[in-house]
Amino acid sequence: MAKTVVNKHADLKSSIIPWLLILPTFIVVLMFTAWPTVLSIYQSFFRLKLNVPRFRVPTFIGLQNYVELFKSPTFHQVLWNTIIYVAGVVPISVILAFLFALLVNRAIKGIGFIRLGFFYPTILPMVSAATVWMYFFTPNYGLFNLFLQWFGYHGPQNWTGNPHLALLAVMIVAIWKSAGYFMIFYLAGLQNLPTDVFEAADIDGVNYLQRLWYITFPLLRRTTLFVTTIAFIDGFQIIDHIFVLTQGGPSDASNVLLYYLWEMRFNYQDVGKSAALTVILVAFILIFTIGNFALSERKEDRRVA
Amino acid sequence: MKMFSKKLLLVLLVLVVSFSIVFAGCAPKKAPQQNNNQNNQQNQQQNTQKEVTIQIYFPVSTLAPEAKLLDSYAAAFHKEYPNITVKPVYSGGYTDVEKAIKTVINGGGEPPALAIMLATDLYDLIDAGYIVPLDSYINSMPNGQAYLNDFFPQFLANSKYEGKIWSIPFQRSVALMYYNADLLKENNLPVPDSWQSLAEVTSKLTKKDKDGKVVRWGIEWPSGWPYWLFQPLAIGNGTNIFKGPAQMNFNDPRVIEAVQYYIDLSHKYHAMPEGVQKNWNTAVPDFENGRAAFILHSTSGLNGILQGSKFNVGVMAVPGKKKGTYATVTGGGNIYMFKNVPKEKQDAAWKFIEFVTQPKYVADFSINTGYIATRKSAYDLDVMKQHLKEVPQAAKVKELLKYAGPEFSCHDLAQVRNIFHKYLQAAYNGQMTPKAAMDEAQKEAQAILKDFQNP
Amino acid sequence: MSHNSIPKTKHIKKRINSFVIALVAAVLSLLWASVILWAIAASFRPPNSPIGPGSIWFGGSFSFANYIRAWHMAPFLLYYKNTIIVVSLILGIQIVTAVFAGFAFANYEFVGKRWLLFFILLQLMIPTTALLVPNFATIRELGLYDTLLAIALPYFGSAFGTFLMRQAFLEVPYELVEAGIIDGCNWWQLIIHVYLPPAIPTLLAFAISSVTWHWNEFLWPLVVTSSNKARVLTVGLVRFTQLGEIGAQWPLLAAATLIVVAPLLIAFVVFQKRFINSFLYSGIK
Repeated sequence: MAKTVVNKHADLKSSIIPWLLILPTFIVVLMFTAWPTVLSIYQSFFRLKLNVPRFRVPTFIGLQNYVELFKSPTFHQVLWNTIIYVAGVVPISVILAFLFALLVNRAIKGIGFIRLGFFYPTILPMVSAATVWMYFFTPNYGLFNLFLQWFGYHGPQNWTGNPHLALLAVMIVAIWKSAGYFMIFYLAGLQNLPTDVFEAADIDGVNYLQRLWYITFPLLRRTTLFVTTIAFIDGFQIIDHIFVLTQGGPSDASNVLLYYLWEMRFNYQDVGKSAALTVILVAFILIFTIGNFALSERKEDRRVA
Repeated sequence: MKMFSKKLLLVLLVLVVSFSIVFAGCAPKKAPQQNNNQNNQQNQQQNTQKEVTIQIYFPVSTLAPEAKLLDSYAAAFHKEYPNITVKPVYSGGYTDVEKAIKTVINGGGEPPALAIMLATDLYDLIDAGYIVPLDSYINSMPNGQAYLNDFFPQFLANSKYEGKIWSIPFQRSVALMYYNADLLKENNLPVPDSWQSLAEVTSKLTKKDKDGKVVRWGIEWPSGWPYWLFQPLAIGNGTNIFKGPAQMNFNDPRVIEAVQYYIDLSHKYHAMPEGVQKNWNTAVPDFENGRAAFILHSTSGLNGILQGSKFNVGVMAVPGKKKGTYATVTGGGNIYMFKNVPKEKQDAAWKFIEFVTQPKYVADFSINTGYIATRKSAYDLDVMKQHLKEVPQAAKVKELLKYAGPEFSCHDLAQVRNIFHKYLQAAYNGQMTPKAAMDEAQKEAQAILKDFQNP
Repeated sequence: MSHNSIPKTKHIKKRINSFVIALVAAVLSLLWASVILWAIAASFRPPNSPIGPGSIWFGGSFSFANYIRAWHMAPFLLYYKNTIIVVSLILGIQIVTAVFAGFAFANYEFVGKRWLLFFILLQLMIPTTALLVPNFATIRELGLYDTLLAIALPYFGSAFGTFLMRQAFLEVPYELVEAGIIDGCNWWQLIIHVYLPPAIPTLLAFAISSVTWHWNEFLWPLVVTSSNKARVLTVGLVRFTQLGEIGAQWPLLAAATLIVVAPLLIAFVVFQKRFINSFLYSGIK
């Protein structure tokens, strides 16, 4: 709308201005998103390992880095862990977020505090939260086991040292951290819902669960799509707590792609392989988010039809 | 509402602007300073050829007691060699020193002349081409060989590669077994002297309440970062986990047996928590508060544990498999000299190494920090004799040194060590049998190390 | 009679229901909050009452000793200064670049516009964190390693900010823009007098989420810094937890943790509603 007006006054200068205004942002995206993606693809075809004198000069090796990675049992485990991590954290935190939103979507005294309790993890640095969780998980000392014992849990307590629990432990922290964040989107969605639909449903004698499933949830489809998309992108990235809690251990039980990538580059000094891992990670993120999008779009189509 | 947002935004903007000013204000200030320094250095070089300033990177924070000690040594050195100034740089921990040096070198700058880094960093530093051998300096000493021989050979073991000496031992420690001597006495139990007796004693000291919940473990043996505290078991079985810088020994039957012993302590003797014991952190308070009868820890914990415990604390090496044998492992840091530092600085740096490793400073450092004195002759000094009288545990620690094997080190240490950790923990956690785990660890490690075998 | 009682019981049932739901919400919320509540309680424990197995909450009396010790054990003041510089540098520049770019996309029609917008939105699809290895190499090339600028630089342009500002500017009524042009406003006068005033809430939302996000960031600052002079609070805290002398001194760790989170937490409690709204606005960081 506005653009036509400006174009009326258009001269050569005004057609350069928008480019100039966008230039700073463009340069940053070029330097720190586009270029590194290309660089990673390029470097992933080279052997370059800084702590091996012979491999300090890059040599072209084709797909060798990928071949070695896909042959390595550690990489298999890391890949598998990443899938479990993302596939666990995303739906659970989104479902909890929805549940919390339903719980706190009412005007009663003190509801602000209840919302605060759910939402505050969003603004805590993950490493600070993890420092506290480190205590919570400590066998014999930590509150987490004490809490579970109230509910009759008598299983292993060594959350960060047990290979069957370590991944679960870091997932729990990630879920705790993000559920409250996603909650606010559902809360906003719930508050924007048209009330007449519910009144109609009330008259029809639909029970609460039916109402939730057949009316509320479908109406919040857009919110869900939005939330799950962020959740997927975040899911691959939220790993700060692994540095504090498990360092990927024991025996790589809680090692995920981004952490492994960091290890490969900064502990093992393997630039070539870390470039290959970067490419794989980016591909994963794109596949998950685009897949999520495509899937929900298709659902929508079917409903319309 | 709108007013409010505007105000808040205004505050934010003021903040941004003021900090940008602070930031911008910092930038130009620094530049002339650097110029001054360069000018000074140039002037100094022009005026008096011999005036030299060298840096030594030290892995403690500025507030640590070691910092004060090193400052005083540098001052004493300057008195003796007025033309050389030693500037200690306190960068935090070992990894900080390593990162700082990497940064300088990769950025094309001049590294410090000296740094204290982990003894086990040896091969990585050589592979990276960061350090120089010290033989020419040692040989130029009137009695260089005697100087070398005065260092405990256990500590010097991490300094040798391809017939050369690459570092000088400085702040060194060993792994220790601490025990609650009062508990042993109360229960009429002997101080263990073999794997078997250690298992029996700790098993008897494990106490449960009426619900079957353990209230005191016989022994806690941290394994979150497990190679170091595992080594005494392998050494105590007559071997070690590595043979050379590119040759591992993970699947030696005696190493496998040592892994099995660690597992047996929990599964067979029920004297120790099961699986990987993640926390170094809880072992010490558990010991101090009577919730663990034995723990493994470094000598560096000695002072703290003696202060924190209300009972008699015994220290010993880890009993070996055979009766009457013991074992431990060395740890800690050495002094390294760096490449691409002007010759006159390297020469000055060597003078400082010689100075600071004189017996009297070695003894002083040990007494004030709890690290083990690295030279034999330091123990002949009166101050040291007096100290050992006052702190009998320190005397005991010195005695244990004879049981110490070299700390695990090799090329591409981070990756090989991670492989070992991975499979050792898999065995501890019962995911693999010790044999399968160690075979796999050996295989993967050697695959990595093949890059280093024919240079 | 019966006609009346049905709604009445229904009403009572509803009240009981809503009470139960509120109770469940409160309990769950308390559970979620236990992390920070415990940290606060533990941080004020006196040093002579260490935490034993299963000991919860306070240690009897109240003490600031842990805060004082933690404060002296690491240069938190320097970390604060660094964090504030990084966060405000990012915010200051992001606001300018995002407003400029958002304005350009909203106000002009020009060759390659769609293509350019798509290119910039790439930043949303491929998160910068995932590209830390090649970006680290770039920082090295630029000679910025171990500087505060290195931490901030990749965030000087924000696709999200651009997108957000574009959306806000598109909602500015066309008549206002026209009036501005007739009054002889040039492009920056248009931004200041016409576009920006109604978009202030959006800008504020973006600002809050940007500050929170960069205050909390860990991995990137970890990778591009190596010394205290460029270390931010998160990285400093992790180093603090790894100091050998710390051991199982949970109250001390809790105090250090709270030192790091205090400013944001206090700001959050005070401006709760605004914070939540900002995060709502600015879904993606």
